[in-house]
Amino acid sequence: MTDACLTFRDLTLGYNSHPAVHHLNGAVKAGSLTAVVGANGSGKSTLMKGIVGVLKPMAGACLNTRNARIAYLPQQSELDRSFPARVVDLVSLGLWPRRGLLGRFTKEDREEVSKALKAVGLEGFETRPIDSLSGGQLQRALFARVLVQDAELILLDEPFNAVDAKTVSDLIQLIKRWHGENRTVMVVVHDLELVREHFPETLLLARRPVAWGETKETLRPDNLLRARRFDEAWHEDAPWCEPDHGHGHAHAHPHAHDHHHHHEHGEVLDRPDHETGPRAA
Amino acid sequence: MLKSLRLAALVSVITSLPFGLASAFAEPLKVVASFSIIEDFAKNVGGDRIEVTTLVGPDGDAHVYEPKPTDAMAMSKADVVLVNGLHFEGFLQRLVEASATKASIVELTKGVEPIKMKEEHEHAADDSHADHHHGDIDPHAFQSIANAKIYVKNIADAFCAADKEGCDAYKANAAAYTQKLTETEKDVKAAVASIPEDKRTIITSHDAFGYFEHEYGLTFLAPEGISTEAEASAADVAALIKQVREDKASAVFVENITNARLIEQIASETGLKVGGTLYSDALSPADGPASTYIDMMHHNVDTIKGAILGS
Amino acid sequence: MYDFLIAPFVEFGFMQRALAGSLMLSLGACPVGVFLMLRRMSLTGDAMAHAILPGAAVGFLFFGLQIVPMTIGGLIAGVIVALGAGAVSRFTVQKEDASMAAFYLISLALGVLMVSLRGSSVDLMHVLFGTVLALNNDALTLIAAISVITLATLGIFWRAIVAECLDPLFLRSVSRLGTPVHFIFLGLVVLNLVGGFQALGTLLSVGLMMLPAAAARFWTARVEPMCLLAIVIGFGSCIAGLLLSYHASLPSGPAIILSAGLVYFVSTIFGTRGVFNTRLRRHRHRTA
Repeated sequence: MTDACLTFRDLTLGYNSHPAVHHLNGAVKAGSLTAVVGANGSGKSTLMKGIVGVLKPMAGACLNTRNARIAYLPQQSELDRSFPARVVDLVSLGLWPRRGLLGRFTKEDREEVSKALKAVGLEGFETRPIDSLSGGQLQRALFARVLVQDAELILLDEPFNAVDAKTVSDLIQLIKRWHGENRTVMVVVHDLELVREHFPETLLLARRPVAWGETKETLRPDNLLRARRFDEAWHEDAPWCEPDHGHGHAHAHPHAHDHHHHHEHGEVLDRPDHETGPRAA
Repeated sequence: MLKSLRLAALVSVITSLPFGLASAFAEPLKVVASFSIIEDFAKNVGGDRIEVTTLVGPDGDAHVYEPKPTDAMAMSKADVVLVNGLHFEGFLQRLVEASATKASIVELTKGVEPIKMKEEHEHAADDSHADHHHGDIDPHAFQSIANAKIYVKNIADAFCAADKEGCDAYKANAAAYTQKLTETEKDVKAAVASIPEDKRTIITSHDAFGYFEHEYGLTFLAPEGISTEAEASAADVAALIKQVREDKASAVFVENITNARLIEQIASETGLKVGGTLYSDALSPADGPASTYIDMMHHNVDTIKGAILGS
Repeated sequence: MYDFLIAPFVEFGFMQRALAGSLMLSLGACPVGVFLMLRRMSLTGDAMAHAILPGAAVGFLFFGLQIVPMTIGGLIAGVIVALGAGAVSRFTVQKEDASMAAFYLISLALGVLMVSLRGSSVDLMHVLFGTVLALNNDALTLIAAISVITLATLGIFWRAIVAECLDPLFLRSVSRLGTPVHFIFLGLVVLNLVGGFQALGTLLSVGLMMLPAAAARFWTARVEPMCLLAIVIGFGSCIAGLLLSYHASLPSGPAIILSAGLVYFVSTIFGTRGVFNTRLRRHRHRTA
């Protein structure tokens, strides 16, 4: 475990006492490149927010064992597009971890910002106001900011949304470069082909972790099927999850609807499904 | 036979008691006065026979007063309501409607010869209050003692109309008080006469003393115009300072109801000291130097005289 | 020319003070106004004018009609309202406009209650709010202190304030300054407003904060020039307004604000980012 960058211990994250990530255990190796996949509502963004620290765990812990500097690219940024800022101002925000509140920006800092813009294909865009950028250009500018941050742990939440194919391939190159520089990278991706092609490791989430490991193994059809069956909705009448309930605990409890037999807890993931019939859609 | 006689006597005593009580303890006349000066007049005319509630109390500013529900309650129970009129009380119309009072609203300036506003001022309503119309008439008629006598006569008439039994008492009180007012007027005129003619211009906060000026010959200048709601312009302030510099104004006074800062600024710039506080639109509290109308007149004219002659 | 522009200020002490006070207030209030506008909190000023009433009332209850206790009371009330509204908007689902409205209304009602219970007919606000023509030494010192504090705070926390407006989630992920800076900014707002009210009255104080900022928006797309331009517009409005008040006998506060208002309208139409230049004029276009 000495080369782990992140350790999850029974991590549960959620909102309003409903779990979105439920009992996650494991470790992210330093320098690894992991894709985080799962259906909508499976907890991927929540997991990212929990790692960054924006969301506090409901139970368990997420440990940043090496105190790595984190760069986080959220799925929906709270960026105020109408704020009067230029691209260079936006990207220079990435210098904060190094310069802080009062540090002067040196010539090297400015050059680094230019280099980052060049790397994402936005050379010459320095003085453009951010409200004049297209969606893809803004995404690339945010990537440039991540570049400037020079972080050891990089978290990207659905960075390829609404971005054209050329930009996607450019950004993939950048990610691979980071991986080559031995930075730990975790990326939430929807396109499984992209994952199979470029990502060595994958974490398959369905609120609970379904599978985690080498991409080929994780994305096996039976795993994918299991993940597709998870329950996305919140249940107001679900019983409370007690801390001493672990795996292998099977007991009947009252269901509000009996056309689906998904147990809230105590389900062991490697047990075959015992449903009597196909689950109602 | 004796028993029924005694019973009859008892019954007749019991039934005649209320009548006896009624004549010995007459219900006091419920009067509402709009501000403290009117309250003073009313008390002097009505004596024990009336019960006065005042809306704008001592040190209160009737120009910007906002009435409370207790005011509406007092109005609705009142027998007589005494107001200044001439748009002095901006809040009155709404209050009368809200209270649905059946009392007669008596404008005490009836019979007074009104004076127009002094100079042409641009009045801009301050943003914190609803707009008030001032018209062109100066409402501070009570600053002239001759007018005060008219107020007193109107009050006596109003009380008489509402309470015929007490009419003699009211008329007697009014006459006695009017006599006192005449004495006071003599004092005021004497005081003014003792001030040299070329020193009779002074500066106050707002144009409250038009009638005093008209009657007794002092000249009052003010930056704020007729109502304390208006805002002064730089030109007004500059003009006043010029007046002092050209030795045309001899003293500066703050008023009890207004913000003193503007006057203090003028005073410090011209080197004059603030001569004291004048009571313009309201009496002082009971422990102050102007707690009755007559005291107010004495205080004002003595303060003015003292500041001018002393400087 | 000299007679028109310079003479009034040379001849009269109160004109010099009025100029000094209003210029100093512009130095601090205009940049704060730019950020308020960018954060869509432009109506905060008006809300504050009402929110400070219970504080002034408490000052009045204990110390009578004294300016200093009432101003301090007003400051405390303003801070409580601003920080309370800020906290609610930051830590709950409610947004800033609603939380500010809720807090200031509750505060105002509390203030009216307190004043009514005391039974005085003195109009507290009338006494508390000053006028630009009557700036004594205390008032000038107050404004100067507020200006200095504001400029110093903006200088130190500039980067964080901009980041907090531009991308608060990012700031949260790299620093813990986000929340304190939010509250420091609100503190600056209250300081400038309450100090401004006391010295110059509500209209002038709020107007000087918001109008130059709103006008500057039409001329530039970057924050630093926007703040500088707002200050310049503020300066110009003060000078023009005071001269108008002197030569045309107009009340001083409204004259200054209307001068700023004129600049605002001209900016809306003819500014670099105004109506004329963005919508109406047919530009030539380049080949790339």
